[in-house]
Amino acid sequence: MENRIKHILLTVLPFAGLLLVPTVVSAQEDDRPLIEPDVRPQKVDEALIDTENFEIGAFAGILNIEDFESSFLWGGKLTYHLSETFFFEANVGFAEGGETSFEKLAGDVQVLSDEDRDYRYYNINIGMNVLPGEAFLTENYAFNTNFYLIGGAGATDFAGDTRFTVNVGAGYQVLLTDSVSIHLGVREHFYRIDVLGEEKTSMNTEVSGGLTVFF
Amino acid sequence: MRLALILLLLTAPLSATADWLWGGADEPLPQVQVAEPFVEWRTGPAVGYPVFHTSEKGEWLTLRMRKTSWLKVTDRKGREGWVHVDDVQLTLDGEGEQVSLSDPRFDNFSSRSWEAGLMMGEFEGAAVTAIYGGYLMTRNLSAELWGSQVLGSASEIRMVNANIVHQPFPHWRISPFFTLGVGHIFIEPKATLADPGDRDNSIGHAGLGVRAYVTDNYFIRAEVKDYKIFTNRATNEEATEWKIGLSIFF
Repeated sequence: MENRIKHILLTVLPFAGLLLVPTVVSAQEDDRPLIEPDVRPQKVDEALIDTENFEIGAFAGILNIEDFESSFLWGGKLTYHLSETFFFEANVGFAEGGETSFEKLAGDVQVLSDEDRDYRYYNINIGMNVLPGEAFLTENYAFNTNFYLIGGAGATDFAGDTRFTVNVGAGYQVLLTDSVSIHLGVREHFYRIDVLGEEKTSMNTEVSGGLTVFF
Repeated sequence: MRLALILLLLTAPLSATADWLWGGADEPLPQVQVAEPFVEWRTGPAVGYPVFHTSEKGEWLTLRMRKTSWLKVTDRKGREGWVHVDDVQLTLDGEGEQVSLSDPRFDNFSSRSWEAGLMMGEFEGAAVTAIYGGYLMTRNLSAELWGSQVLGSASEIRMVNANIVHQPFPHWRISPFFTLGVGHIFIEPKATLADPGDRDNSIGHAGLGVRAYVTDNYFIRAEVKDYKIFTNRATNEEATEWKIGLSIFF
């Protein structure tokens, strides 16, 4: 009798145990859902989400400098998007003033020295996306676009002095990807100048295009 | 199984370093599960873009990018779209808890620690443009650094200033404040004037103003300052300035 119990305990039970284990395991496997979600039990770490509210870029175009011809303009811009509608924008631009009609007609006269013809401006603006939209290129591609208005102030360094300058304008932005966009814009820069006699408001039209990258 | 776990734990720090080096391309992007009956997807990050898809309760979304208040999401089938942060706040994370993303509100305004802004106005009749940054040491007291450019018909003035700001009622939506500070002024008369002698002087100033919370993380700030310019002549000069501008806080 004792031997039989020993026999059961030592030989049968371990086997029974071995037999039991796989069945328990397979029972666990059966509890799993048919399709397992490919999600790890993780908290959402906000640092892993790329935030792209800044935009940096370069532009080039034509600047019409009142009384001093039109010339090539180039510069850089930095934008910070406050919300889907409003943004801050800072620009610097460089151009060179040409000759006045007087200088051309009179021949050997110079109103400004070469150094004073360097035209530099900076401005800080508030922009507003007024018409968000989409542009469709063929049937396979759609690009998000924005038509925006802009207004702000800064300074223009031209003809020997730095002058307070107000600028207003509008632009069209096409987002090639979520991070790269092209801009086309028109701006009007206003400042008071007295280089050619009486002080007057100088109107300077800028037409430019640029490329920006979000970061 | 245990061995695999140990191996995983051993390699985890390595892969973390690699991610830090290479920009975390392999880092799993955060995923959230829709808990409301549905969320709307738009084609772009603004309310003006059309809704083109909805995700039902229980679907998993991967958060890829954020622009202002919008998150770019993808689903299992590789669709891409933009969901508003308010909708994402109502989803659940992998542990089944509600997602919490930063979404600046008025509460954050009264507990902000940094602010920066751009202001424009008039300094003794001439146009002034100024930028500033400030650090809030306590809820009432902050320290600020300013850079200003004044463009008048007779001169160009540049100023650097430091001031402390006291706001007695930080929890008010429109909160008044007082400032006290010192700085330096650089005056450069216009080239066309007869006596183009540059000057630079120390200045002291006191002012009062108001911050008005608008929405998200920005507010309008307006202020008036009275400047005392300490010249090396018999009398000191005084100047009044007012400015208004838009600031952001972090």
